Amino acid sequence: MQFQKGNKIEVYKASTDEAWEPYMNDFIGLHGFITDPDTTINDPDALIEVSLEGKGTHRLPQDCLRLIGHP
Amino acid sequence: MAEKTCPVRTTVIYLSELIRSGGLTDPRGRRISEQILLLTEEIAEGAAGNDHLSAIDSLIEEYVYANSTETNLNTGKTLKGILSAHREVFQSHIETRNCPTHDCAKLAPSPCQMACPAGIDVPTYLGLIAEGKDAQAIEVIRRDNPLPWVCGLVCTRPCEMMCVRARIDTPISIKFLKAFAAERAMSDREYRNPEKKAFNGKTVCVIGAGPGGLSAAYYLALMGYGVRIIEALPVPGGMLMVAIPRYRLPKEVIDREVAMIEDLGVQISYNTRFGVDVTFDELKKQGVDAFFIAIGAHKSWSLDIKGEKEFPGVLDAVTFLQDVALGDYHTPGQHVVVVGGGNVAIDAARTSLRLGARKVTIAYRRSRNQMPADIEEVEQAEEEGIEFSFLTIPKEIKGENGIITGFDCIKAELIKKKGSDRLAPVPILGKDFTIPADAVICAIGQYVDDKGMEAFDGMSWTRRGTIEVNHASMETTMPGVFAAGDAVSGPATVIEAIGGGKRAADAIDRYLSHIPQPRMPKIPIRHTMNPPMEMSASRKMTLKRPKMPMLNVDRRRTTFQQVELGYDEASVRKEAGRCLRCDICRRCGKCVEICRDKMGIDALKLGYLDFDNPSETDFTVTKEKCITCGACAANCENKAIVIEEKDGQRLLKLCGTILNSQTIQYCEECHVILPSAEYMQFIAKKTGHVSRVKHNRLLCDACQRKLSAKVNVATRPILPKQTRE
Repeated sequence: MQFQKGNKIEVYKASTDEAWEPYMNDFIGLHGFITDPDTTINDPDALIEVSLEGKGTHRLPQDCLRLIGHP
Repeated sequence: MAEKTCPVRTTVIYLSELIRSGGLTDPRGRRISEQILLLTEEIAEGAAGNDHLSAIDSLIEEYVYANSTETNLNTGKTLKGILSAHREVFQSHIETRNCPTHDCAKLAPSPCQMACPAGIDVPTYLGLIAEGKDAQAIEVIRRDNPLPWVCGLVCTRPCEMMCVRARIDTPISIKFLKAFAAERAMSDREYRNPEKKAFNGKTVCVIGAGPGGLSAAYYLALMGYGVRIIEALPVPGGMLMVAIPRYRLPKEVIDREVAMIEDLGVQISYNTRFGVDVTFDELKKQGVDAFFIAIGAHKSWSLDIKGEKEFPGVLDAVTFLQDVALGDYHTPGQHVVVVGGGNVAIDAARTSLRLGARKVTIAYRRSRNQMPADIEEVEQAEEEGIEFSFLTIPKEIKGENGIITGFDCIKAELIKKKGSDRLAPVPILGKDFTIPADAVICAIGQYVDDKGMEAFDGMSWTRRGTIEVNHASMETTMPGVFAAGDAVSGPATVIEAIGGGKRAADAIDRYLSHIPQPRMPKIPIRHTMNPPMEMSASRKMTLKRPKMPMLNVDRRRTTFQQVELGYDEASVRKEAGRCLRCDICRRCGKCVEICRDKMGIDALKLGYLDFDNPSETDFTVTKEKCITCGACAANCENKAIVIEEKDGQRLLKLCGTILNSQTIQYCEECHVILPSAEYMQFIAKKTGHVSRVKHNRLLCDACQRKLSAKVNVATRPILPKQTRE
């Protein structure tokens, strides 16, 4: 699993995943924390819960996230 | 309207006050105003779509109808006036998602509230808990979450992850404080439902009585909809009841909160499978106007290894936990192996132990620090005697005569695969081993069971096997059909399901009222801004998060009694008081900059203000340097940092925390209040060549000028011009 609960992340680009919705473009460049990683099968394809500063908590595809700090 | 006030914000305040004051006696006028308020709030928050302004225009026209009241007509006229004068400001809010005057951010939610998928106003209810107002706290929580007691025990608490206090020491124990308040309010018989609106003639069918379904049902019932929940299980709660063990969440907690929802008129049909016992067409004929699907993700993935289908001792975790929840307390085996590393695996293992298993082993294919289960759950499992076998890949389940005898595994190592930065478990050749076992429980994840959903033929499914929705409105691709919870996200959290249910209830109401849906998920709403609790800086710094008292280990290994016993009242009140009230301070850092860079004093050590690079915070150092000049307070847009004068003291307070306190001095001549001695010295240093404090007396500027003038007249009389020459 690449992301763990408490990891500090950045939404650094738009995802190519079908789960990416247009409003999520507002999130690019924001920092936040992983609040609920893929809790079962460590699937890189799973949507994971991320809390972004000033924009709330959302479930995002993992390809748009990069790690900027550990818990 | 004041010139510098944002007209969008003014409209929100105007309508909120009009609705709250009860000025709109006519239900139609009230409904129109509420809908305009909703749309205007979304414009203020940057969540509005392109249709919002035209929808407001149409709603304003609706104020004019036969027998409309004078208040309605005046409201319409006022709103029309605001829109015609400031239309471009409204348009700019929608297009740029920005408020030029920053007025629309003044009630910006705190990070904890923003982080909560249900958007609960955390600082407000923590403030109420600190004051001992538990029932009022529950009232605040239930505006956004109808299951505060449940969440107080099992929430994954993203709010604590974003808690600003964690940048100083440890996050506020938000979850447990909520549980305490709910239990106390229930015990005091003060846990009450809010008043619901009269039946509006429309009915919504909710499929699934889990957290998402219950949440939607609650908010729809409050809005005046008739709600019928179809539930396949004989009990309410969905995964809350059948997947979370009783030692974490007692049945009574779920029952009590569900009963509160039923008290609003929500009907739950148990043992009723949608598509089998009741069909889409039947419900449509019965007058259902909209559907909300919250069926969860109850099907377990299988291991797909040899022997898995051969032995009755191989169970899937969800079925196992469900059977136990419904009363089957038989031990699965003496030597149980649970496969998986998530919370469900931990729950299955700890449940097996409580049912009498001698040895329980969790087999996980990766390492301990990669386990996705909550760290507290893992630690509690270890305390109870659960064993872990890490880097373990299942190979085969072996047995004789239908009885399992062993669980064959291969040791793994974590290796980075080509083109990926992820570590993947790879079997080590020849490192096979067997774990003695007579029962194997598979807990490697769940997926959505789409059986019965065929009737929703216009609804699309994602490639992940979940229902496709627009996340802003939880609308599926089939008009009038909405969905939320695990059925949409895949296995996720209770609070996400609750938030999704609330969002869907709002969207269903908009759909049935023909008003546009938001562009993005709604930003949480601040309902009130309670004054912060006053506390000394040293107390604010020294309060510590209390430790959770636990049930003793022997009892934990043998019974389903609640493991976490909860805080005592004194700890709860103290812990709530540790909150920094980030709903008031937006952490812009202006106060620190002004004190340090403009005034050159540097009295504010507030390292926690920086999200990315927090440095040391110490509220107690301010008093050593602060001159109570008030520059910080004068420049704080939110009045988070203020100067107050009371009881002979001048206080500098940051969200209630007293950073500095100085005795007020008075002018010896005229007795007006003077700035602090430190401030006067600071000014004297700056203006030393212009004016001096005479004879070490405490004087105001006016008296000092008078005295200087007298002295000058006496010592330096004005001489005739010619004499001077």
